[in-house]
Amino acid sequence: MRYLFPSQPWDRALVAILVALFSGFCILTPGFYNGFHGTLAITEEFLPFGFVALGLSVVILTGGIDLSVGSISGLAAVIMAILIKSYGLNTWLAVLVAVGAGGGLGWLNGQIITRLRVEPLIATLSTNFIYSSIAIALAGASPPYGFGHAFGELGTGAIAGWVPVQLVIFIVLAIGFSVLITRTGYGRRLVMIGYNRDAAHYAGVSVASVERRAYCISGVMAAFAGIVLASYYDAVRADMGDILLLTSITMVVLGGISIFGGEGGILGVTLAVMILGVLRQGMLIAGFSDMVTTMLIGAILLSSIAIKNLFSSRGFDFGSIIRRLSFLRPPERMTSRS
Amino acid sequence: MSSTATAVSDPSRRKKSRPRRRELREVTLLVAIFAVVLGVGVLRPSFMSFSNIEFMVLSSVVLGLVGISQTFVIITRGIDLSVSAVLGLSAMVFGLLSTTSSMPLWQALPLCLAMGAVLGCFNGFLVAWLKIPPIIATLGTYSLYGGLTFIYSNGLQVDQVSPNFAAFGNDNLIPGLPVPTPVLALAAVAAAAWFVLNHMKFGRNILAIGNNAAAAYNAGISVRRTLLAVYTISGALAAFAGLVFVAYTGSATATTGTGDHVELQSIAIALIGGTAIAGGRGNLAGTVIGSVFLSVVITALVFLQVPAIWYSAGEGLMILAAVTLGARRSVNP
Repeated sequence: MRYLFPSQPWDRALVAILVALFSGFCILTPGFYNGFHGTLAITEEFLPFGFVALGLSVVILTGGIDLSVGSISGLAAVIMAILIKSYGLNTWLAVLVAVGAGGGLGWLNGQIITRLRVEPLIATLSTNFIYSSIAIALAGASPPYGFGHAFGELGTGAIAGWVPVQLVIFIVLAIGFSVLITRTGYGRRLVMIGYNRDAAHYAGVSVASVERRAYCISGVMAAFAGIVLASYYDAVRADMGDILLLTSITMVVLGGISIFGGEGGILGVTLAVMILGVLRQGMLIAGFSDMVTTMLIGAILLSSIAIKNLFSSRGFDFGSIIRRLSFLRPPERMTSRS
Repeated sequence: MSSTATAVSDPSRRKKSRPRRRELREVTLLVAIFAVVLGVGVLRPSFMSFSNIEFMVLSSVVLGLVGISQTFVIITRGIDLSVSAVLGLSAMVFGLLSTTSSMPLWQALPLCLAMGAVLGCFNGFLVAWLKIPPIIATLGTYSLYGGLTFIYSNGLQVDQVSPNFAAFGNDNLIPGLPVPTPVLALAAVAAAAWFVLNHMKFGRNILAIGNNAAAAYNAGISVRRTLLAVYTISGALAAFAGLVFVAYTGSATATTGTGDHVELQSIAIALIGGTAIAGGRGNLAGTVIGSVFLSVVITALVFLQVPAIWYSAGEGLMILAAVTLGARRSVNP
């Protein structure tokens, strides 16, 4: 039982926020609590964000960032739809190919970042626009729709009538990612690179190859999220991944993974996925517009990093503000991290 | 870090090689512009007409203004993704004000600069005081400011502006001289920016912070105040670009700026112009010429009837090419 309860203060705070937010919406927003199954079904609306967040946390743990997740998910969904509709491929085979394509696109990001030595930010910002152009060009004017009942189960189905398929997949993947990061050599190398690249390099870690695989994982998860979205809507649009990016980064950062890499775990990300998902859906059900919700998520992103920086000794530039405010010590030497 | 280390240990070599590199970039860009103009002009003669060339220069003004602000931010090792949202908000607000409450231009101009300065100042506060990495901070404010545009527009859109706005955007300031006012404005801003960057203490501080923030701090430069000023300038210039945009085109919607990926374009022209993404080195002349280059290339794509969906892919490729070919990056393991 001890292992089940989160031990980190940040994770405990997230649990408290989640409980407060959930009960608050249940009491204050009519229509939010919709029976046990109905409330569980709300998760279907936001778990695609969670899949992206899982893959993105691997990249952010290395201290990088992947801004191309949105267009990778759109492009993967378009590829899947074309394979099914134009080439008559078996649905699940097409899904497999599309997820593989997502991995390939992520791998390409990794190649550009590690071989051409382009900053992750610039590289993925550029590939984001390249991939989305390709997706729009492939999709053409009329978006494909109607992929059959069996495929729709992925996004909207429920096991035994009440547990959404998406939720089961998400929990399995979250456990898998947690094991990957905390219990495998690869995962430890990821965290080590994020904590101190140079130390990892001198310790004999092949930084470039670990990073390439991280971007590949991120691409796979983004593609999977795109396919789940396609299944949920039973239609494919080239730009349907665009909304994923901001919320997913917020989920990762709110989940306690340091944006500079090397800190945090999957449990926090899972909790943050639930918090932001409940918040998003709760606000939409309460009648706020999508723009207001997006603005709020942007504000949460900024404030969660600001709060983390305030209480962290590994700040961005000058060390902790709290320590500086105390005036007891001379100002810390700044360490610049590119 | 190794390239910085050698540059510092061997100042004479650095002094010699730097101006040559910069001139090379500008000459390359000018040659590329002429090549594109001549090449497309042969295929489509109307491409070389005076009105089209004037159009290309005029349409590069908005980008050039945003590019200058982006250059300042990139020199400090930062990045400002919110420029497009600030541009869109400014275009929306002052486009609507010019028609609904018939605000004259002389009122709109300072108000617009002030609004952009406040929005940019908030970015600077997030980056310099709360230590949020610039990319995340401005991604957050991108959605905040973009949301503000939606809320302010309330479903409306600007489809015409008052005559004095339109005159500012299209007519010649000095009668007889065939140079539209926005081009003169860009020239003035670029000259001022060049002077600030190269001949004022503030500009040298910006370069010092981009080269090595820790060393700049130890040398007594107020890093946080300088960063705040840089982001404030960036916001003000982006808002001014929004005003020029709405005056020039006479239209603005809730997705102006953000929908056209102005932030990507501004990063592209700064990098194409020879500004180093790793900070510490900036080239304002290159940025201005880069904005003309981008405008010429996009117009050429229109003339060659390339579908519009490929433009952003082309910009992405251009950024990658500029970054990989241009900058000597520090070699990370």
